Amino acid sequence: MSEYKRTVVLVDDNVTSHKFFQRSVENLSIDLKTYVGIEAAMEYLANNKPSLLFLNIIMPDKNGLTFLGELRKMPLHSDTRVIMITSKDYSQDRTIAFELGALDFIVKPMSMRSITSIMLEYIK
Amino acid sequence: MAKSYIRFWGVRGSYTAPFKTHLEVGGNTPCVEINIDDHVLICDAGTGIIPFGNKLIYDDKHKELLILLSHFHWDHISGLPFFVPAFHSKYNISFFGPGDSKEVIKKYIDNQMKAPYFPVGTEEWLAKISYLDPKQKKLAYGPMEISYYSAHHPGITYGYKIKAKNKTIIYIPDNECLFLDKSIKEKLKGFTEEETTMFTKMNREEYQAEVNTIANTDILIHDAQYTPQDYEKKKGWGHSCYIDVVNMAIDAKVKNLFLFSHDPNNDDETVSNIHRECQNIITEKKSSLRCHIAKEVLEISLD
Repeated sequence: MSEYKRTVVLVDDNVTSHKFFQRSVENLSIDLKTYVGIEAAMEYLANNKPSLLFLNIIMPDKNGLTFLGELRKMPLHSDTRVIMITSKDYSQDRTIAFELGALDFIVKPMSMRSITSIMLEYIK
Repeated sequence: MAKSYIRFWGVRGSYTAPFKTHLEVGGNTPCVEINIDDHVLICDAGTGIIPFGNKLIYDDKHKELLILLSHFHWDHISGLPFFVPAFHSKYNISFFGPGDSKEVIKKYIDNQMKAPYFPVGTEEWLAKISYLDPKQKKLAYGPMEISYYSAHHPGITYGYKIKAKNKTIIYIPDNECLFLDKSIKEKLKGFTEEETTMFTKMNREEYQAEVNTIANTDILIHDAQYTPQDYEKKKGWGHSCYIDVVNMAIDAKVKNLFLFSHDPNNDDETVSNIHRECQNIITEKKSSLRCHIAKEVLEISLD
C-alpha cells in the first residue's frame, strides 16, 4: 500500500534554501515542491492546494506579502495554510502577514529542527 | 536638446531636520527629481516635494508629473498635502507605488489628508490625478524605462531602477542591506556543521543577488543612515550602515554612490565624517567608485 504524502510547497528564490528544506523533511511523509519564484509556483498553485505553503518575502519577481494578498483572493487559497519566511524580522511584516491569515513566521537563519517542528505542527 | 539631470530636494530619513547645524546637507525628507528630456519623474513625496512643487509653479513649464513612491511611511509622503501643483487644474499627476490595486494606492495617499490629520482632503485636488496599476512590472515614461524590486525595510518597500540616456539610476532610499549576514553571525553557535555550511552558502548567494541587482549602476542613491555604533542598537530597523553600503557598491562596481536618507540626528559635520570614512574604504580597496553626499538642491547632470 503506497504511503500517503502531504504536499508542501516552498517558494523561495534561494536554491540553497530549497536544499535546506529538503533535508529538513527527509524523514517526514511529505512531498516537497520547491519553486524559485511566484510565476513558477503559480503553475502548481493555480489548480492545487498544498497542505502547507512556505513563502519567502523578498523575491525578485514579486514581494511575498503582495503575492499572499493576491492568493487570498483566489477561492482555492482563501484558507491555504501559509508560513512566511524572511531574513528580516520586521514587526510590520508580521502584522501584514497575520492580517492576511499567515500562520507563522520563520526567520532565517533557522535550524532544520525548527522547520520539521513547524511542518508537524501545521500539517493536519 | 533639453538639459537632463537629477536634483535632490529632500535627503533626510525618518523625519525632517530643520536645524542650523544641518543646513548644508538639508533637513527635508526624501524627494528626488529626475528630469530627462523634459520628462519629470519624482521619487518620493517627502517634505522635499514642497519646495520642488513651488519651483514647478514658478517655472510654469512642466505639467505632466509621475511620482514614484518607494513606500508609504510618512516621511516619504508627508509633503503631498502641501504640494501646490496638486491643487492646480493644469497639472496631470500620476502615482505609482506598492499596493494591491490603484484603489489601495489612492486610499494610502488619501488617508494622511483625512480629518483630523489635515484640514483639506485630496478631493480638493484640482489636478488630474491618476493611480497607475501597481501590478505592472515595468513602466515606460518618456525616454525612461522604470522597474522596481523589493527592499529590506518594514512593510512592502520598493527600490526603483530607471534606465535612460544609456545610464542606469537606482533609487532605494530605505533598505537594510546585509541583514542576513548579521543574523547568521549572531546565531551561528547554535547550528550544526551542516546547517552552518548551508547558511554560509545561502548568505553568499543572497549577497551576490543583492550585488547583481545594483551591478554596474551609473548612479546609486542608497540608504546610508547608520554609523556602526547606531547599527549596533538599531539592527532590524530597516536602514543600512554606511560601511555595508559602500562595500556593497564597490563589489557591484557601481560608478557613483550617493549616500542618502541621512539620519536626522547627524549634523553636517557628522555626515561629512561619514563621507570621509567611505572615501577611506574606497581608497583602501583601490576602487574606482565615486562616493558623494546627497545634499538638498545638489544637481547631477545626465547629459
